[in-house]
Amino acid sequence: MSPFDPAKVERPAPALLKYYIIMALLTGPLSVFVILPLLFKYETLRYKFDSEGMSMSWGILMRREIYLTYRRIQDIHLTRNIIQRWLGLATISVQTASGSSSPEVSIEGILEADALRDFLYTKMRGAREHHDEEQVAPPADEALSLLREIRDLLRRRVQPESQP
Amino acid sequence: MTHNVERAATWMYRGVWGILTRWFRVPEAPPSLPTLPGEVLQSFRPADGFLGYLKLKFWVVFSLNAALIIVIWVAVTAARPWIGAWLTPLLIVLLLVPLVLGYLAIHLRFDSTWYVLSQRSLRIRSGIWTISEATITFENIQNVTVESGPVERFFNIGNVIVDTAGGGSGGGQHGSKGPPNLHRGALAGVSNANEIRHVILSRLSHSKVSGLGDEFPLPPTGWRGEHLAVLREIRDALR
Repeated sequence: MSPFDPAKVERPAPALLKYYIIMALLTGPLSVFVILPLLFKYETLRYKFDSEGMSMSWGILMRREIYLTYRRIQDIHLTRNIIQRWLGLATISVQTASGSSSPEVSIEGILEADALRDFLYTKMRGAREHHDEEQVAPPADEALSLLREIRDLLRRRVQPESQP
Repeated sequence: MTHNVERAATWMYRGVWGILTRWFRVPEAPPSLPTLPGEVLQSFRPADGFLGYLKLKFWVVFSLNAALIIVIWVAVTAARPWIGAWLTPLLIVLLLVPLVLGYLAIHLRFDSTWYVLSQRSLRIRSGIWTISEATITFENIQNVTVESGPVERFFNIGNVIVDTAGGGSGGGQHGSKGPPNLHRGALAGVSNANEIRHVILSRLSHSKVSGLGDEFPLPPTGWRGEHLAVLREIRDALR
C-alpha cells in the first residue's frame, strides 16, 4: 500500500453519497426534504490539505468555506457509527479553541480516515517537540551570517586606516 | 450451579462479541497513536472496580424497578387471581430481559473502552454503535480534574477529566445529560487516577506554551555563543 498523501484528497469518496442516502431514508417520510441538501453538499464538497492548513468548502446557495491551520487544532475526534463502519467511512471532527461546542470542521467521506487523522495529529501542536527548533534555526543563522558580513566590512574599512 | 451459569454467560458473551467484531466491525485491538522513535505507548482499560461500580449502579436502578413491577403484580393477583396468573410470564420477561440486556451493555461498554497514553498525547476510545476516538495532546490541556464519589472510592476507582481550551454550552459535567462537550476527555473508572493526573501534569509543566496557539509571539532572537563571538570581534575591530 502506498503511503497516504493528504494533498491528493479533494473530493469525498462515492461511499459518502451512499451514506447520505441511507441516512436520509432512515428519516422516513422526511427523507424527500432531507436528501436534497445532502445531495448538494456531496456534489459541492471540496477539501484541500496543504502544508500549513486545510480548507473545506461546500454549498450551492449558501456557500461556506472554512480554513484552519493545523497548529491551532485543539482536539481531534474520530467517530464511526455502524453504517459508516460498513461503508468504510468515518467523521473526523476537528476543533480549535473557539467558543462553540460543535466542531469547527467535520471531515466526512474519507476512506483513509485513520491515516488522515494521524496526519492531522502529527501536525497539531504538541505532537512533536522539535518543531519549534526547526522554525527557530534559520533566522538565527541568517543573523549570524549578517553579523559576520558586518565584521568583515568593518575590518576592511578599519584596518587600512590603522596600518600606516 | 452458579459456576455453570457463569460459564454459559461467558460463552454467550463471547458469541455476541464475535458477532460485533465481525459483522458490526467493532475493532478488537486497542487504538494506537503515531509515535516518535523511542516513545512508549501505554494502553489500558478501565479498572476492574469500574465493572463492579457499573453493576452496582445497575442493580440499584433495576431492583427499584423490579420492586415496583412486583408490587403491581401482587396487587393485581390479590384482586383478580386469574389475571395475575396470566400476567406471570409477562412478569418474568419484564424482569429477565432488562437484566440480561443490562449486563450485556455493561460488559460491552467496559470491553470497548480504551485509554492510550503516549509521551505527548492521549487517545480515548469508547462506544459500540458509534465508536468515537478522541485525541488530545498534553500541550493543549488547560486543566486536569480528578473526581470520585463515595461509591467509586469504595471500588477504588476515580475519573480523570482533561479539558482543552474553548468552551460551548455542551453538557458540562461527566455523566450529565446534554450534548457531549468535545473540548473534554474523560478517563472514567481508572484505579490510579492520581498517578495519571500526576503524569499528565508533569508533562504539562514541561511545556512552555499556554496551549492557545501563541508559541511565536515575536520572532525569536536566539543569540548563541557564535553570535556573541562575532559581536566581540566587531567591537575589537572598532577599537
